[in-house]
Amino acid sequence: MIKADFITGLVLMGLSVYVLVESWFMDRLGHLNVHPLSVPGIVPAFFASVLFVFGLVLTVRSVLKGGYRLGTGDLARALAEPGNRRLVITASLTVAYAGILIGSVPFWLATGAFVFLFVLLFEFKKIQPPGERLRVVLVAAALAVSTAAIVSLVFERIFLVKLP
Amino acid sequence: MFLGAIAGFLTPVSLFHLAWSTLLGILIGALPGLTATMGIALLTTLTYKLSPELAIMNLICVYVGAIYGGSRTAILINIPGTPANAATTLDGFPLAKQGQAGRAMGVATSGSVIGSMIGMFFLAMLAPILGNYALKFQSFEFFWLGIFGIIISGHLTAREDPLKGWIAGFLGLLVAMVGQEGIHAYARFTYGKTELLGGFALIPAMVGAFGLAEILSVMKNPPVEIAGDPKDSVIPRFADIFRYRRTIVRSGLIGTGIGIIPGVGEDIGAWVSYAAARRKSKEKEKFGKGSVEGLMAAETGNSSVVPGAIIPALTLAIPGSAPAAVLLAAMFIHGIRPGPMIFVESPQFFYQVVAMVFFATLAILVYGLALTKPLLKVLTIKRTRLMPVVFVLCTIGAYAITNRLFDIWVMIAFGLIGFALREMKYPMAPLVLGIILGDIVDKNLRRGLVLSDGDLTPFFTRPICLILFLVTLASIISSIPPVRRAFGRLWQILRLRKDQPGDLEG
Repeated sequence: MIKADFITGLVLMGLSVYVLVESWFMDRLGHLNVHPLSVPGIVPAFFASVLFVFGLVLTVRSVLKGGYRLGTGDLARALAEPGNRRLVITASLTVAYAGILIGSVPFWLATGAFVFLFVLLFEFKKIQPPGERLRVVLVAAALAVSTAAIVSLVFERIFLVKLP
Repeated sequence: MFLGAIAGFLTPVSLFHLAWSTLLGILIGALPGLTATMGIALLTTLTYKLSPELAIMNLICVYVGAIYGGSRTAILINIPGTPANAATTLDGFPLAKQGQAGRAMGVATSGSVIGSMIGMFFLAMLAPILGNYALKFQSFEFFWLGIFGIIISGHLTAREDPLKGWIAGFLGLLVAMVGQEGIHAYARFTYGKTELLGGFALIPAMVGAFGLAEILSVMKNPPVEIAGDPKDSVIPRFADIFRYRRTIVRSGLIGTGIGIIPGVGEDIGAWVSYAAARRKSKEKEKFGKGSVEGLMAAETGNSSVVPGAIIPALTLAIPGSAPAAVLLAAMFIHGIRPGPMIFVESPQFFYQVVAMVFFATLAILVYGLALTKPLLKVLTIKRTRLMPVVFVLCTIGAYAITNRLFDIWVMIAFGLIGFALREMKYPMAPLVLGIILGDIVDKNLRRGLVLSDGDLTPFFTRPICLILFLVTLASIISSIPPVRRAFGRLWQILRLRKDQPGDLEG
């Protein structure tokens, strides 16, 4: 957590400086004769200044605890953990479905494919007996078809919601 | 007016909506990975074609139901169904392991029902007074109210490290700066993108921060198993209620009070009520080992936060919790304008909200007595099958209100960033509060500066401003470690001095 705090502190300070610079160069709307204290950049600059101080405190606090000693060993260890592997698979599938498939292919097809793959990737294991593996595939397929059909019908027909 | 509002909902259509939405809320609360905030955000999409009254009733029913439903999971599988039920696990699960799962559920039901009723009473009594008083607020007060909300919310939701709570809150405020500002309609941080002109919509952001982030969290953690099976009766025992009546009233008051504080929420309400009950209890040793009193305090505390959190949302347009923030956004979507003027413009809506809480509370009582075995079946659904379906709903929830693919990307971004922040112990409630309060702080700071022509004195000398400023400052100073340690030592010395005369007399 100390190392994460160190990196987060630096990111926050960087973000704050960026917002401060953007706020400084923001249009002061002089051509509209607006009051100088109501210019659009004043409040973002105020927030960024406070956030900079918080980021600085976070960084200094982590440096005092040795958080600046960064290494790649922790990352490799973290990636090997089963929980993090599940996390990476979930994140990849959700981003691929919502960010790429939705809008590119029909909603029912994208949804069916996503649900099928999700169940299959997490429940299908090579060590399972063939019958069990077939059962997983059938369950995944049934859930995929039913989700795509029910969600499409319920949202479009009952709740009159337009689907992507 | 309240009785009129009650009568207004006694129609088959209203009762049908009440029944399904409370049941949905209980299911959402019971399933780990689905929270009240996410449930309300998703249902906002589903119900936005309904009339405002019915839509808001559905959302309030989901809210009340979800906070209650989470107790079932906390008792039976030692996992809080929603963050609000974390304190419930401490005594609920040990009771279940002792073969008293039914009794524990009965205690949770009675605590939740009475807690909601206490909160509802104060909602009906306090909100008009607060609303009337808020009419006198000017820009200076609203500015401090926003900053006070962020600092207090950050402090209370990240008690171990308030700095992270404040960072989350100010990140939320910065997020709110994107888009056209409210005074001169100047587009800030939009870089020519028309999608950003309106800023980041709250519903997609909330669905991401509370939906996708929760899905990632559930999938990362190991699966859970049901450990307790209720064999005894789930009907609440009157003896339990009578015996712990003081704890119930105290927890109800604490919960309502916590609810009124901006952006704090049900989980803190439960923890503070639990800690207070433990401090005052004659059976301290039972806490954490299956104390009925502890369980009662936690469930009364979290449920009374719900109406409490609606008080500032209705009267000041400042939410008392994350789910109340979505509720507030939903009210705006339906053309209702919460704030001090609500009692002038639509007083009947206020009493309708009180009636909605009343009906939702009755519904959780009915479901609490009837829904035990079916809920157990729901809890056995594998997460690998539930989560993809939930994510499909999240995607629709983010998209459906404005029909923009851009909002799906907003949901993804807030989900991934929200997950990373949660893993690093940054609370989400101040972030959400920041997004809501950004516009209020922005407009009122600039208006205040213009009104005073740059003079900062009114920001510190007007009575309410001074109080809010001092509390905010005290919150920050008391979080500095050396100051906190010094206060801790002082507190110990004072307690020793208080105890010594008693010892001498004894």
